[in-house]
Amino acid sequence: MAKTILIVDDSESIREVVSFTLENAGYNVIIATDGTDALPHFDGKEIDLLLTDLHMPNMNGIELIREVRKIDAYKRIPILFLTTESQRDKKVEAKEAGATGWIIKPFVPAKLLAAINKVMR
Amino acid sequence: MDSFQKKFIEEATDLINNLELAVLALEQDVKNQELIAEVFRIMHSLKGGGGMFGFEDISHFTHNLETIYDEVRNGNLPVTEDLLSVTFSSVDHLRNLLNQDALNNEHIKKNHEILLERVKAILQKKDTLQVVADEEQVEEDSKSKLQTIYIYFAPNESIMDNGTNPLYLIDELCSLGTNSLVFPRTNKIPMLSRFNSSKCYTAWEVFMVSDVNLNEIQDVFIFVEDESEIEVKKIADFDVLANENFIEKIQNLYQKKNHFDPAVIKSLVKDIANQKKSVVANVNEKLKVFTKENIISSIRVSSDKIDQLMNLVSELVTTQASLSLYVEENQVYELNLLAENIENITRQLRDTAFSISLIPIETMLTRFHRLIRDLSTEFNKNIEFITEGAETELDKTLIQGLTDPLMHIIRNSVDHGIEPEDERIKKGKTPQGMIYFKAFYSGANVVIKIQDDGRGIDLEKVKQKAIDKEIIASDAKLSEREILDLIFIPGFSTAKNVTDVSGRGVGMDVVKRKIDEIRGSVELESKENIGTTITIKLPLTLSIIDGLLVVIGDTKYVMPLNLVNKIYAYEHETFKNAFNNIVIVDGEQIPFYYLRDEFEIPGTPLEVEQLVLVKYEDKKIGLVVDNVVGEYQAVLKPLGKLYKNHEIISGATILGDGTIALVLDTNKIINEFSFKN
Repeated sequence: MAKTILIVDDSESIREVVSFTLENAGYNVIIATDGTDALPHFDGKEIDLLLTDLHMPNMNGIELIREVRKIDAYKRIPILFLTTESQRDKKVEAKEAGATGWIIKPFVPAKLLAAINKVMR
Repeated sequence: MDSFQKKFIEEATDLINNLELAVLALEQDVKNQELIAEVFRIMHSLKGGGGMFGFEDISHFTHNLETIYDEVRNGNLPVTEDLLSVTFSSVDHLRNLLNQDALNNEHIKKNHEILLERVKAILQKKDTLQVVADEEQVEEDSKSKLQTIYIYFAPNESIMDNGTNPLYLIDELCSLGTNSLVFPRTNKIPMLSRFNSSKCYTAWEVFMVSDVNLNEIQDVFIFVEDESEIEVKKIADFDVLANENFIEKIQNLYQKKNHFDPAVIKSLVKDIANQKKSVVANVNEKLKVFTKENIISSIRVSSDKIDQLMNLVSELVTTQASLSLYVEENQVYELNLLAENIENITRQLRDTAFSISLIPIETMLTRFHRLIRDLSTEFNKNIEFITEGAETELDKTLIQGLTDPLMHIIRNSVDHGIEPEDERIKKGKTPQGMIYFKAFYSGANVVIKIQDDGRGIDLEKVKQKAIDKEIIASDAKLSEREILDLIFIPGFSTAKNVTDVSGRGVGMDVVKRKIDEIRGSVELESKENIGTTITIKLPLTLSIIDGLLVVIGDTKYVMPLNLVNKIYAYEHETFKNAFNNIVIVDGEQIPFYYLRDEFEIPGTPLEVEQLVLVKYEDKKIGLVVDNVVGEYQAVLKPLGKLYKNHEIISGATILGDGTIALVLDTNKIINEFSFKN
């Protein structure tokens, strides 16, 4: 069965690139625009991986990760976040919040898939 | 002596044996690079090991030889007659040196010095002598950039809390290499009561062969590098995992310790690097003999342990017999099934335990090769030694008992059998003599044939000698067979002069006695000027036999089942009235022995008795008993020294009900009673 990935990003172009890449790679993709939009998806349905941006309105990525980790059913799903090379301390903060790994922007599709492959089969 | 030294002696003995083999082969083919490399490698290992385990003499002694063979390898020195001769002498001397006090012996010490001088002399012949290449300098295969990398990955216990699956990382890691071996280090896993399934207690050690750079490997762990202990280092510039020996060794280490000591790994890699240095590309058949050894995965077990296992299996067989008997008497259905199962398993266990203590005859052959080589040089005879069936396996105790008699037979063949070259040419034979050694299975026996194409045995001479020694009367009329059998009579020896080789007071009578001791038989055939063949027949094993349990009066006996042909029931009258102890069975005249009378067992015979037909040479002979009980696995126990002269009984066995049955040697019974009658 195809794995389901939830993509959370406030930038439409990023969402499009990412979902195009992932759908082509055979994943099911669900889309949310920010943390508050994303959180209701964690209602018990099958989500195999969360891929989220950090800077977002309403609820940012780090808060979202903390909230998701509070829900028992999603305590152990892999979580990847999108970040830029300069945000070194953000990485630490996100990891402390419970993220599994990161993807550095800008990225090519192959890099994205490789990072996902690292945490999920 | 500590256990390391013991281990070294075992290893060194193997090495020296291999060295002997290699030098023998090298003598036939002095240009063979593989063999030269093999000799060098062995010298090198002996030198290294000797130094490490306190055998300084070996280390010192092999140093120059190693240098010589290194020069030979590089084409700077030829393989000469002299070099081979020194090497052969060194093989023997090295065996002596395995005893650390060897040099306290005057004789050995002198030999040691002479050999060292000879080795030096060979070295000095070569003016541009170079020092052995530094061990560290390994010739690399320039075409491949493969390297071997060691990776240690110990994740933080809580690594799985953030969704990381360490196994994925290991998978990803392995995907970067062409070959890899992963060893989980599991010593931190707590007892089940304290085990938390959300924690990761395992660390991993990976040996990987890859052409990627170390940074790429480090990148695998990018998400977890802050909270894990990660070590990535190159351990070799070549593919270490291509070496089966290495894999075997690290697997052994892993099983023992669950982790690896970097120093040990380093030295293992160094060993392989040295081996690699000496391996040359073209592989021919002779090398396959040596590599075969490395491929066979085997372990060393002390022979005491094997003996112990055999003893336990014997006890188990006896106990199982008790169980079967109990079940038979009490007819408990469920127990019956179990007993049958146990019987089946016991049988398999017995066979497996046997096969463990079997070793191939091959192990003796090197010694014979060497013996023939040395003797033919000494007597100036040209002899080819051909072997067949070297893979035939025999119980190790049999092999031990067999070596001396066989050496003696071969000595005889070389000394008395094969003629000198000129005599052979005069007789119209090929100048090169031949000794043919063949071993094969025949039923429950192993047969060994040693055949030469020499002058054969002069029957007249044998007869005359027997008359002179008053073994037979001067007018005795003997068949060819009987004359040949004289050779086995104690005190008989035909050698005119006592030579260094045969005729040291050990004659064929000793050969026969030694082979009798291991329940074998020996036969001699000879045709003048065509050659002599000696055939030795041996049982596969000594300790457990499949037997037929029979009863005479109150006593139970076991006959070897492999010799039993058929069983017939006859009325007692038939035997009583038989003329000349012959009965007609299926239209065939069968001589029989009435065992109740032969064994002088009192009591009244039964009305109907059993005639057991047993094989004797190529004939069938009947043995009459009261009753046949059935098949029985008999664990043979010796009767003790008081009864050792009773040849017709080969031992005793304990039956399921605790009583004792005697194991009959039917061949000897027939022999003994036919002479008596």
